[in-house]
Parts: sequence; structure tokens; C-alpha cells
Amino acid sequence: MIELKNIEKYYANKGVKSYILRHVTTTIKQGEFVSIMGPSGAGKSTLLNILGMLEEPTYGTYEFMGENVTSLNERKRIELYRNHIGFVFQAYHLIDEMTVYENIEAPLLYKKVGSAERASRIANLLDRFNIVAKKDLFPNQLSGGQQQLVGIARALAAQPSIILADEPTGNLQSAQAEEIMQLFQKLNKEDGITIIQVTHSEKNAEYGNRILHIADGVVKGDVQV
Amino acid sequence: MFKLNLKIAWRNLWKNKVYAAINIGGLALGLTAFVLMLLYINHEESFDSWSPDLKNVYQIREKHDFFTPDNKEHWQDAVDSRMAALVKENIPQAIAVTRVDQEWDWNAGYSVKVRHADPVMIQKVKDADSSFFSVFDHQFIQGNTETALKSPKSIVLKESIALKLFGTTKVLGKTLKLVIWRNDPGQQLTVTGVVKEPQTPQTVGFNAIMRTGEKDKDPDNITAKHYCQVYAKMYGDLDSVSLNKTLQQVYVKAKKASFAKQKINYNDYYKDGKTPGLRALQLAEVHANPAIHLSWKDKLKPVVGISIFLLLVSVINFVNLATAQSVNRAKEVGVKKVLGSNKHQLLTQFLLESALQSVIALFLCVVLVEVVLPAFNQHFNVTLSFWHNPRLLLMIFQLVMLFVVVTLLAGFYPSWVLSNYNPVSVLKGNYANGLKGTAIRNVLVVFQFVISVTFIIAIGVMYQQTKYVSNKDLGFDKGNLINIRTNYEEKFAERLRKIPGVKYIATTTQVMGNAFNIPEEITYKDNNIALNTVTVSMDALQALGVKVMQGRIFAKEYKQDTVNAVVINESAAKLIDKYPVGKLYDVKSDKEKYTFQIVGVIKDYHNEGFDKAVLPTIYKVTHLGGTSMTNNVLVRFNSENSAQIIRKIEAEWKVAYPNYPMSYVTMNDSLNKVLEENNRFMNMIVLFSTISVSLSLLGLFALSTFVAKRRTKEVAVRKVLGAANYEIINLLNRSFLILVIIANVISWPIAYILIKKWLDAFAYRIDMPVLPFIVATVVSITIAILTVSIQARKAATMDPVTALKYE
Repeated sequence: MIELKNIEKYYANKGVKSYILRHVTTTIKQGEFVSIMGPSGAGKSTLLNILGMLEEPTYGTYEFMGENVTSLNERKRIELYRNHIGFVFQAYHLIDEMTVYENIEAPLLYKKVGSAERASRIANLLDRFNIVAKKDLFPNQLSGGQQQLVGIARALAAQPSIILADEPTGNLQSAQAEEIMQLFQKLNKEDGITIIQVTHSEKNAEYGNRILHIADGVVKGDVQV
Repeated sequence: MFKLNLKIAWRNLWKNKVYAAINIGGLALGLTAFVLMLLYINHEESFDSWSPDLKNVYQIREKHDFFTPDNKEHWQDAVDSRMAALVKENIPQAIAVTRVDQEWDWNAGYSVKVRHADPVMIQKVKDADSSFFSVFDHQFIQGNTETALKSPKSIVLKESIALKLFGTTKVLGKTLKLVIWRNDPGQQLTVTGVVKEPQTPQTVGFNAIMRTGEKDKDPDNITAKHYCQVYAKMYGDLDSVSLNKTLQQVYVKAKKASFAKQKINYNDYYKDGKTPGLRALQLAEVHANPAIHLSWKDKLKPVVGISIFLLLVSVINFVNLATAQSVNRAKEVGVKKVLGSNKHQLLTQFLLESALQSVIALFLCVVLVEVVLPAFNQHFNVTLSFWHNPRLLLMIFQLVMLFVVVTLLAGFYPSWVLSNYNPVSVLKGNYANGLKGTAIRNVLVVFQFVISVTFIIAIGVMYQQTKYVSNKDLGFDKGNLINIRTNYEEKFAERLRKIPGVKYIATTTQVMGNAFNIPEEITYKDNNIALNTVTVSMDALQALGVKVMQGRIFAKEYKQDTVNAVVINESAAKLIDKYPVGKLYDVKSDKEKYTFQIVGVIKDYHNEGFDKAVLPTIYKVTHLGGTSMTNNVLVRFNSENSAQIIRKIEAEWKVAYPNYPMSYVTMNDSLNKVLEENNRFMNMIVLFSTISVSLSLLGLFALSTFVAKRRTKEVAVRKVLGAANYEIINLLNRSFLILVIIANVISWPIAYILIKKWLDAFAYRIDMPVLPFIVATVVSITIAILTVSIQARKAATMDPVTALKYE
């Protein structure tokens, strides 16, 4: 599903290249649950952003479902991730001015899903995550765990084939964090959604089936769990 | 999606109520000024557009120097009545040519009497010849174009006047008595038609058009002239260039023939830059090109500039606040981009938001316009209306265009900035990029303050100039002096002199409010000098209370005074001789030579606005080269109790002239009328600059709030490092202070140039003062510091721990 070949990312500063990623080459198959681990500043988030097409690598090729992402124009790229990629963030990043319902609806609007279909999908998600009663509340009226649930529901609304999560439990208490990780595991096993998460916690990494260790921009280890 | 975006926009407005109110309110104010100006322009543009037929109507203009305030040649709409026949005979395309009275401000109207009712004064009753309605295609309610002015002694009324006089429009064949002068025996006129008020204003406006017969013929004596307006209706489309060429040729030929009969040398007459001239001006262009006065377009120029600036100030507020707020919206942009929104969609969303605000502002503006329109109408002496505007559709179209322009102006840049946010950096929590657009924001703040400071300086200078003008010595005593609008008559004057409290009864051709200048060339020591002549009665100069500088003024004891003694003013003395008293000069005409002796010099006295210099003038009591048809009777009182004396004068008047009401003005009112236009302009500048300055300050206030908010973390860190509160306030003030100082430096030369131009239009003016510049700078800096400090204090006194915890 994902093929990275020799991905490099650096910033040139006063003639000095400071590398974020070096020679990253890996393949991620459909249905995998990958955790990217490593110390702060190792380049985990950058790798995730490149995977999510939010950043471009300075060098190397990235194939997503057989298409070469690095050579696509912006319009095509947006089209591609609109349909296949869902994002979950550490800080939830819900839109404060939208209700829970509207937040979940937003990606569907960009995907131009018809209104009846929208309503049924959202109802389904609200039901599944037990947040039906909260649908008209605004994000700041929810707890952190609930916000992250909405965040995941939003990522799932567009029915992506892959979810990218940047420290999804970083801001949560351990009980809530566990709940979220179990949800991810369930999505991976039951719905066959590919999941790639960045995490600091060994415990969280064990929910997945593969761990990529990164340090100083280089992949140091690739372990199957 | 549209609905959702609208919802978000609304929620955002609600969340930032105060800023939204500043934004929308400011925009509404800016729009209101602009829309009022639009209404006014529409009104002026609509002149003479009430009938498609009018595009073939031309006004005839002649170049001459009679009735001009500066005694120089101008293209005038008051032309020799002979021009009508000239046009009719020489231009084959002329279907109809008409002669009609010109309008005269000083005229209080004519007295109209219907049967036994009291006489009423009606303005704009104009005398015309029989072709008037063949040229101007008015719509008849009663009667018709052919029969209306067919026979002399007929009159056609406007609908409203018919209703006022008779209570009905069915008035054909009824008669009324018209009295033109107070001792005019009056004439019976038969109503032969009633016309509707046209849809749009008219250059040849009237309440009634009559045909007394006076306008039917030209004077028999070749040296005599009747001045009137001449309009011609031409057949089909004419090339105006060749038409004017023909007119000019015909005119020169006619002038030469006429001069030959009068034994005047053509080349002698047209020398020193004087040239003959006759041309036709399409009616549609007449209103925009008045003969002597400034056209409405020129008068409006500064107002247009000011209202555009006002609108700009409010748009700038909008842009500044929107970009400053954009930090708060950055996350939304980032998330939406990650969810698959493209730039185009985001741009549309943010434009929609500014459109929402401009729509609200536009509605507020319409309400405001409705509220202020009566005051505006009264102030500018117009009758504008918004909803009852005959060109409402055009107005609505203009408003829609205005809405689009304002939305784009105000919304495009912020939308562009917002939709350009990089989602990765925003979602990393790195809002430092929110500092984007600071440079442009600073430029806009500077621009805004340049406008405000320029306004403040302008107010200062205008205030000083106005004070100078109102305290200026007029050269005559304006208190206890009234002017009755009538010709002087010795018998009536004698009766008035008997009323206790009346000191002088006199007349003059030149007094503030009603002055007409008659040019004359004198020969003094073989030099020809062009001067202005004024005819006065014996005690007119005493009545005015002028100051005698040398010699004496007229008095009964000197027999010579009614023959060849003259008094001159200081300006004339400068041209003639430093010590002119006792000197002689000649006035030559073709046949004879008259010699006059100068007996005194008086101080210049004003009889026009302060934009015009007092003309070098000769005052004569003799009728030689002068006129006694002054339409001014000056009455000087002894006491302050003028109301009682005026009542007595009116009683005398009623006995003498029962058919004609008396009308008079006090000299104070005449002066105020002269100053009116200037005061009006000044009031408008004061109003607009107050709005502009307060808008700028509101903008600055809101902007400093955002900046203070954004720098909370920096402030907190500095406090932890040991900065005192005042140091933090200084820190935040500094960035704005620099902007305001730059704005001041830029606005000095701009203000200097603009104000110099304004001052230069006055013949009597102050030197450019320095004080307003200093005051404007001090005021703008002080207010800016105060405004910013309020916010800075809040930021400085905040507990640093709360600020640092947010990560």
C-alpha cells in the first residue's frame, strides 16, 4: 500500500543542511498497525506528515496505492488523501466553532457526499462511539477523551483506508488513553483499516503489530510484534 | 457547505462581539457617508433628463463682461435677446428658439393676486416668448403646447402652484393679477395651461411661465440690450463643433454690423484679450458647466475625496482586525486543509464571512441614511430621498456594486492570508507564523493615521481661517442695517426718514448680498485704467458706515457732488495716485469726454465673499455712466430696537404699495449667507474627521488588544525574568508609537499642500499656521499611547503562570 524509497528531508540553513530524515526506505502493507517510536526530534512527526502528504520530502519517491505521490499536482494529491487518509492529532484539533455533529460532517462535505448518505454515516458513527447525546455540543464542552473520540469519528467519517495518528493519547489520562488504543485495535482488526501512529509509549506501541524505531532521522529498527 | 460556512461565520462574529461591532459599525459609517455622496451625485447627474426630447435642446452662451463679479469676460448664459433671432435665422436645423428670463437669487419673487385674496409672493415666475413649450417638452395636464402661449398676457402654471392659488388644476381661462415691481400697476394674465412637475430637476426651473409680451421683441434702440436666456431646439443629431463654428461666424458678422451702426470701432472694442464669442451648449451639459460659478463637480471634489478616505479608513480597520484575528482561525484552516479542503474553498469561506459583515453594514447604512437624510437635505439645501428616488434601480445597482467592492477590498487580503496557512506548522501548535501580514498591517495603520492626522491639521487651519474671516473688518458697519429689496424712490424715502430711529435711507448698486459691477475705463495722466463703477445716493456711504481715509465723502453742501465729484476706494487709489484727492480724470466715449474730480478715498469694504478681492471702485452720485435701478434700499437705524422700526416701515410700505409685499434682509444675514458655504464645508470636515479619527482609534484599540494577547507568552517570560509592569507597557507601546510618528511625518507635507490649496482660494487669508501641525501630532500620539496602554496594562498585570501554562 505504501512504498517509501530513500526518503530524505532536510532544511538548508546558511548553507548547512540540517537533516530531519535520511534514507528512509520501507513498505507498509494494507491492514498493518504500525507504531513509529523514537526520542523527541527524531523525525517521527515529519515522517507521518510525509506519509499524510502534508509535507513533501526533499528527495526520494513515495508511492501510495500504486501512485507516485511526489509527482502529483496539488489538486490530485488533495483528491487522493481526501478519499483515503484520515488524521488523528494529539491536540484533537476539532474546529471550535463547529458542533460535534458538524465536525464529523466536515470531511464529508469536502468529499461531496450526498446529504442523506451523510446523515446516516454520522448517525452510525455517533452511535458506535456512544456520543449521540453530545452531538450538538461544542468541543470546549467535552472532556479530552471525548474530544479525541470525536476526532477519531471525524477521521473515520470519510471511510479512509488508512488512519495516521500523531501521538493520539499524548494529552489523555491513562484510562482514557487505553480506551482509545483499544478502539484503534478494534478498527484495525475488525474493519481492516491500516493504522500508523506516532507514540512515545511502549505500552501503546504494543497494541500494533509492527514498530519502526527512528533516531536522528534514520530507521534504526523494524520489529514485528 | 454554504449553510455550514454561514453558521461558522455567525458563531465567530458572536464570539468576538466587540470587534465585530467595531468592524461593522465602522464600515456602516464609512458606507453612509459614501452613499449620501452617491445620492447627491445621482441627483445632480439627473438634471434635465426628464424627456428624451431634451437631447436636441441647446443653451446659447455669449461671451461678455456684464454682471460678472470680477469685471472680466466669461461665457455667460445671460445673453443679448437678439441672439434668439440670430440663431433662428442662421441655423437651418433650429426648429424653435425661445427667450426666457434668467434666474436671479436676489429676487424675492413676484406678487400674484387671485381675485380678492391677499397677494402671495411666488418665486420663479418667468417671462418667455411664445416658443417656450415648443423647446421644452413639458407634459400638460390642462391645455396643450400649441395653444399655451399663443396669445400675449397668458400664463402656464405648474400643478403645485395651480393647486396653491386656486385649489384645483381645472383653471383654464381663469385670470390672476401679477405685480412685478412694488409700484407696478400690475397686469391681468389668463391661465392657458397647467403642466406636471417633471421627474427630474431642471435647469430652466419655474413655477409659472408667462408671456407678457416683453420677451417677444428685441429693443428698438440699437445701443440698448435685454439680457435673457436663449434656448434652441435643433432638428436631429448635430455636430456641435461645426454648429459652434457657424454660430461664431454669424455672431462676429452681426457684431460688426451692429458696431458699424453705433459707430464703434470693432478692433478698439475687442482688445486686451477681449474676444467676441457665441456658442451652443447641449442642455445635458449645462448643469455641470454653470456660467460663472464653480460647477457642482468641482465643488464636490473635496467631498468625494473625504468620503472615499472615510470608507478606506473603515475598510482598513476591517482588514487589520481580520488579519490580526487570523491567528485564532489558523487551527480551523489547518484542520480543514487536513480534512481535504482546498485553498479555493477556504478563500470562498472567508470571503463569505466578510460578505456577511458587509451585508450587515450595508443594512445599517441604509437605516443610517434614512435617519440622517432630512438633516443632510436641510444642510445642503437639496431634496434627496432614498426610497422615493426616481432612479431607485440605479441606486440599488450602485449599492450592490459597492457591496461587492467593499467585500473584496476588506475580505480578500485576510482570506488570502488565512487560506495560505501551512497546516503542518499550524497543527504543530506553532502559531508564530501567525505573525504573517504584520508588515502590511503596519502600513495600513500608518495610512489610517495619515488620514486622521491630516484631518486634524485641516480642522485646525480651517478654524483659524474662519476665525480670521469672521473677525475681519468688513470696511462697513453691518449692525443695525437692513436692505429692502426695492428701487429707491425719493418720495417714499422721505416718508421713511420721518420714522423715529431711522438714521439714513440710501441706495447703492453695490452692497453685500446684491452687488452688480459695471466696468469703466478712465484716463488719468494719459494712462487707461480699468475700474468698477458704483452708483450711490448722497448719504449711502454714511449709511454703510465706511471709513474715510483721505478727503471727504459726499454731502449735500457740495453742489458739485451730483455733477462730477467721485469717491474712490483704496484699491483704486493704488492704481490711480497715492494722493488722489483733488485730482481730475477723464472718461471718454466716442462723442464726448467727461471729467471727474476725486474728492475722497474710503477704506475698501467687502460686498462679496472673502474668496474675492475688493475691486478697485469709483463711487458716484451722478447718473452719468451709472444706474439708479439698484433694487437696494439701505436703512440705517439709530437704536438697537429694530423690530419696532421695521414694523413701522412695513406699515408705511403697505400704504404706499398695497399690491406688493415688502421683503428685506439684515446685513448680518447677508454676511452669513456669504459665509454659509464655507461654514458648511468646515462643518462637514469636522464631522468627517471626528468619525475618521474615532474609527482609527477604535481600530487601534482592537488591534492592540490582539497584539497584547498574542504577546502574552512573551510578556509572561519577561515578567518571570524580572521586568516591571511599566517596562512591559513601554514595550507594547513602542511598536505602535513608531507607526503613529511615521504617520505624522508623512501627513505634514500632505496636509500642507492640501491646506495651502484651500487657503489660496481666499483673497483674504491667514499665513500657514504651525500650531495645528504641532497640536495634531501631540494629540494623535497622546491618544494612541492612551489607547494602547489600556491593553498593555492588562497584559502586564496578568499572572505570568496562567500564560505560560497553556502549552
